[in-house]
Amino acid sequence: MLNVNDVCVSFSNNRILSDINLHVARGEVLGIIGPNGVGKSTLLRAISASIPLERGSVRVMGKDITGLTSNERARLMAVVPQARSLPPAFTGWETVILGRTPHISWLGHVSARDQEIARLAMQRTETLHLADRPICEMSGGEQQRLLLARALCQSAPVLMLDEPTTHLDLKYQYSLLDLVRRLAREDGLTIIITLHDLNLVSRYTDRVALLVNGRIDALDTPARVLNAGLLSRAYQLPLDVISDRHNGQAMIVPALR
Amino acid sequence: MKPRFAFIVLITVLAVILAACAPTPPVEPAASPQAVDAATVEPIEPTSAPAEPLVLTDALGREVTLAQPAQKIVSTAPSNTEILFAVGAGDQVIARDDFTNFPEEAVNLPSIGGMSGFNLEAITAQQPDLVLMAEINTPEDVKALEELGITVFMLPNPTDLEGLYTNLINVGKMTNHETEAAALVEDLKIRVDAVTQVMANVETRPTVFYELDGSDPAKPWTSGTGTFIDLLIGMAGGQNAVSIDSPWVQLSLEELIVTDPDFILLGDSTWGGVTPEMVAERAGWDALSAVENEKVLPFNDDLVGRPGPRLVEGLEELARILHPELMK
Amino acid sequence: MQTKSAHRIYVLPLILLSLCLLGSVAVGSVFIAPGTLLGLFGARLSGKIIPADWQPYAAIVFNLRLPRTALIALTGAALSGSGAAYQGLFRNPLADPYLIGVASGAGLGAVLAMSIQWPYSIWGLLAVPVFSFLTAMVAVLAVYQLARVGKTLPVTNLILAGVAISSFTTALTSYLMISASGELRRALVWLLGGASHTGWQPVLAILPFVILGLGILASLGHALNVMQFGDEQAQQLGLPVNRVRWLVILAASLTTAAAVSFAGIIGFVGLIVPHTVRLIWGGDYRRLLPLSILNGATLLLCADILARLVLAPREVPVGIITALGGAPFFLWVLRRAKQQNFW
Repeated sequence: MLNVNDVCVSFSNNRILSDINLHVARGEVLGIIGPNGVGKSTLLRAISASIPLERGSVRVMGKDITGLTSNERARLMAVVPQARSLPPAFTGWETVILGRTPHISWLGHVSARDQEIARLAMQRTETLHLADRPICEMSGGEQQRLLLARALCQSAPVLMLDEPTTHLDLKYQYSLLDLVRRLAREDGLTIIITLHDLNLVSRYTDRVALLVNGRIDALDTPARVLNAGLLSRAYQLPLDVISDRHNGQAMIVPALR
Repeated sequence: MKPRFAFIVLITVLAVILAACAPTPPVEPAASPQAVDAATVEPIEPTSAPAEPLVLTDALGREVTLAQPAQKIVSTAPSNTEILFAVGAGDQVIARDDFTNFPEEAVNLPSIGGMSGFNLEAITAQQPDLVLMAEINTPEDVKALEELGITVFMLPNPTDLEGLYTNLINVGKMTNHETEAAALVEDLKIRVDAVTQVMANVETRPTVFYELDGSDPAKPWTSGTGTFIDLLIGMAGGQNAVSIDSPWVQLSLEELIVTDPDFILLGDSTWGGVTPEMVAERAGWDALSAVENEKVLPFNDDLVGRPGPRLVEGLEELARILHPELMK
Repeated sequence: MQTKSAHRIYVLPLILLSLCLLGSVAVGSVFIAPGTLLGLFGARLSGKIIPADWQPYAAIVFNLRLPRTALIALTGAALSGSGAAYQGLFRNPLADPYLIGVASGAGLGAVLAMSIQWPYSIWGLLAVPVFSFLTAMVAVLAVYQLARVGKTLPVTNLILAGVAISSFTTALTSYLMISASGELRRALVWLLGGASHTGWQPVLAILPFVILGLGILASLGHALNVMQFGDEQAQQLGLPVNRVRWLVILAASLTTAAAVSFAGIIGFVGLIVPHTVRLIWGGDYRRLLPLSILNGATLLLCADILARLVLAPREVPVGIITALGGAPFFLWVLRRAKQQNFW
């Protein structure tokens, strides 16, 4: 579904990402983990063509995305960015309905079907009650869920989320990730999600990529990637992995001395 | 229903406006037809049988025809007002501009603007048969009045006294005061000759710095060559302190000190309120001999700055200042 | 959520605009009785000849006030529409239509044309507006080229380039004004803004530009909404950001340049009207743009009526009225803005 081949990204002569190769199948959730500042967000922006690639290509359903118009790209890929400096006067509804942009005319006329899709998206993200509230009166978590609703409106087969659990209450962290997993399983979306909380990884991702210094150190199932040796080296901190025999969930904790 | 109603109101208003824009055909014959036809309103009909029409070319190259001498004149420049009253046509002037201040009877007339454009509505309402303009007015004003069906004549700026005399004669023709205008010109010529003959053999020509603007005392403005001020100073037996060919010349104080004119005449005393005392206090000006000798004098700029009959008075005034002993 | 009667918000602005259009024709430094006015319109519409003693009034109404009303209304609409679009484009409440060089460019062209003696002909009289229009567009083009980075058009670059070009052209303009000092008053009056051109010619000249430009801008309301989330998110939502930016700049520049070429630099209208519209009707650009256009025409008509009446028979340049009225008004808006976030 989504193929990232030999991608390299540089900013003003500094190489940020090197030799990134990823293949995500339909209905699969790929997690991206790694220490902060190594390029997780940059990788998402590279895949969504928000920044130019120095080398390599990104293909969705076989099509090279750099050859597409913005509109065509937006129909294939939706991005949920981090909720930062959003225009304060937009209401929840006005924000979410903008997700239909790739499907409506440039004049912005919204049909009943568009409205229905938006309503459904807000329902699934539990943000319906925010419809008439302006962004400046929302918490960070509410804004984040709103952006997910907006991305869902794009009805795109590929969904990318950049650290969506930041600002979220524990309850909402789990319900959002549950929703993400359902989207993959039931709706067949191809999902890439960057996470900084390692303890969510094993439960909510099918495969995980460990990104260190702009390179993929490991790309495999959570069980294989989440091993103490790899993680300790990556995070430069002695870590222990505690597996729950019953439900297979892994917890990562600092190693006891 | 309300939005549609409001929309209908707007459309109706616009429709009425658009319908009213359709130009009507001009009525014949017109009392004062224009060379450039843009009349959409019928001009005023003449009340008596038309005499031999007067055709003159104005400063913009326009051929202007007056079927009759003008009886309701609007003057848009102070020089024009002075000319009109001087040839005896003062009773025929119905309005003047903001800057007119001479003669006194003119000041009592209503003003139709001048500082930031003219009040075209007020001019139109008066229905003048001639608007006498000068080169300080803009071509846009001329066109605007033409389109309103009003006769406009722009007097050219004279470059010498002959040009002034021509203007006086032409205004006399336009206002049916030809004889008076001719008499005025003769009188002016006599007065001018009186001065130039006396000054023909003058031995010394004092240098004169005619200050136009001294707001920045370190860099005062004066008139260069090619202006009436320059011409009249020469005719009055003096010499312009600067010989740069430009109507506005800026001298630095250093250059002024080097030039060291005999006289400093304050043209900006009229409208700028500058006095000799103020000049004496300017930093660095005490180095000038004119300041030391108290030869810094106020001068009525209206006498030399306006292309009208008072230029001769200006000449006489200059002569009296520069050569008092010859002008008893 | 979605109001079906969204068209209801246009009622009040339309009514106000109609009133001001009528007012501008009915009112002036010369008093014309309402009965005479109606009679004049009646005669003109029915094709009857106007009686002699009404001639001067007919000239005033049909040759002076009507075209002036049209010119002022178009100018106000153009400046406010462009101002609203720029505020959306730059995501900055201080953006006005003159931000990237149009005004200073136009001023240079106008003063340049005024320092030359043109023959008294159709083309000679059009020299000032034509020059100012051309130099305005050249200035914007220069800003665009300076600010461009490959295919992208970063906002900061635009503003910096706009400042640079504006400083340069203003300096040249000032120098020209000093050296052609005979035309100083004429240049100053033009720069202050006001309808010094009469007749229908200016209206017909700017009409195509204003209609085309405002039409394009009004249709970009949705795009501007999306742009409020920043370039990256707008791109991810499918908007061709650089093309939209280029289109807004082109349309707004054409509209503004046409408006100022005949009316001079009238300030504050392009800043105040979008603000006020936003306060009352919200920040959705699909409505903000058309409402700014309507209310801009209304506001400038009011300012022009004031300009003609306040010191009658003298006429104050309209730009002075908008600045005098605009400054305290803007301070009031600012006070309210501090209390609520509405950018």
